[in-house]
This record gives sequence, structure tokens and C-alpha cells, in this order.
Amino acid sequence: MTAAKAHIVELRMPCQPEYVGVARLAILGVASRMRFSYDEVEDIRLAVGEACTNSVEWARRNARQDSDILIRSTMEGDALTIEVEDQAGPRTEATGQSSRDPESEGLGALLITLLVDEVRVIPREGGTCVQMVKRAG
Amino acid sequence: MNFKINTRTDDDLPAIELEGEVDVYTAPQLKQQMLALLDGGATEIMVDLTKVDYLDSTGLGVLIGGLKRMREREGNVVLICPNQRVRRVFEITGLDKIFDIFNSEAEAHAQAAGKESG
Repeated sequence: MTAAKAHIVELRMPCQPEYVGVARLAILGVASRMRFSYDEVEDIRLAVGEACTNSVEWARRNARQDSDILIRSTMEGDALTIEVEDQAGPRTEATGQSSRDPESEGLGALLITLLVDEVRVIPREGGTCVQMVKRAG
Repeated sequence: MNFKINTRTDDDLPAIELEGEVDVYTAPQLKQQMLALLDGGATEIMVDLTKVDYLDSTGLGVLIGGLKRMREREGNVVLICPNQRVRRVFEITGLDKIFDIFNSEAEAHAQAAGKESG
């Protein structure tokens, strides 16, 4: 018996604040197709929102607002892997000024860690890929 | 995506009522309203999240910033949040311990009245 082929859904969108809600809506649709509980779907929605928000913030700091975010969701068995890849430039403190309240710095990353089973931050050329895995049940 | 914000200053306790999703796109409007109340000399404000169905770290950041500034003048930011989903964001980040969170406006007023008489 061969293993079922993974299903992939991709969304490319501008790296701008008004589109983060679009990413949340899309991931809600993808996660709802799997065996996740209502609470788990909400966790995924929040984690993806936070990952996109981080990309948007770095794009603003690095003046890369005209770049894109690519969100790739891979459904494989009970596991959903979501990659949020941006072209928002380097994530180094030396660049630009944060528009974010200093109080919320780090909160987004903390939330992602608490909401998904695995998270990896992978520097890529021109940007960053945040890879998150959530397993149903 | 609908987002509404309404500031009420006719009561003893000025209130910001929010509706919809509070995120990186809409949180700046909340910040602006909070700063306006701070500039107006408010020491205690209520933020009503009853009709909010989504709140992320940018929304939390604005609320924390507001609370910090209010506490500097010995004031407070009181939250109304009956939605368990939104409340969970405060709980998993531990912020439910620094904010006074109530299920309803009546509950918040009852607590304030209790404090005054006690």
C-alpha cells in the first residue's frame, strides 16, 4: 500500500498589515479540512497570524513592504506543516525602527511556541521562513 | 473584515468598545484611542472586548502599553472579556495575572463598588 500523497495549498500575498487577516482566513479553511478540534484550529489561526505579523513588522523595518509572503500548508496524515516565508530582509536589531509597541516584542514568538507542536525559524536569502507543525489529537 | 471602535466618555469610567478583529492592521486605531484618553487625563479606562472575536500580540501590546502608562499615574485598565477564546490568549501568555478581567461591565462595576465600600 502506498502512503497517501501530501496535499499542498499555497497562498502568496503582499507583506502588508491588511492582508494578515486573509492568511488567517485561508489557514482556517485548510485546518478545518483536517481532524483538528475547534480549539486546535483556533491555535493554528493565531500562530499563522503571528508569523505573518512578524514578517510584516520586519518588512516595515527594512522598507520591504512591496515584497510578498508565501504561505505553504502541507497536509500529510494528521500533521499540518505551515511555512510562512517572507522576503522582508534580515531580522537583525540593527536595522530600522520597530513600529511595534515595545511591550509586545517577543509576545508573538512566544505565542507561536505555545500554540504549535514544532517551530523552526530558517533564515533564507532575502528573508526568513518560519516552519510550524501541528498534529491533530 | 470588519472592525469597529467606539469611545464612550459620558460615564464615570471612560470606555473603549471594540468589535471584530484586533490585529496588526487594526491595533493602531486602539492605540490612538487609548492615547487620546490618556492625553485627556484619564486614570482608569475600560476596554470592552465583548464583541472581539480575535486578538493577537499587537493588540496585547497596545493594552499592556496602556496599562503601564495608567499604572504610572496610579490608574488602571479594566478589561471586559466574556469570550473564552480571546481570554485564552491572556491566559497562555500569563497576562490574565496583570490585567483585571471581567465577564461583564456589571461585574466590573460591582467589584469597583465593593472596593470603595470595603
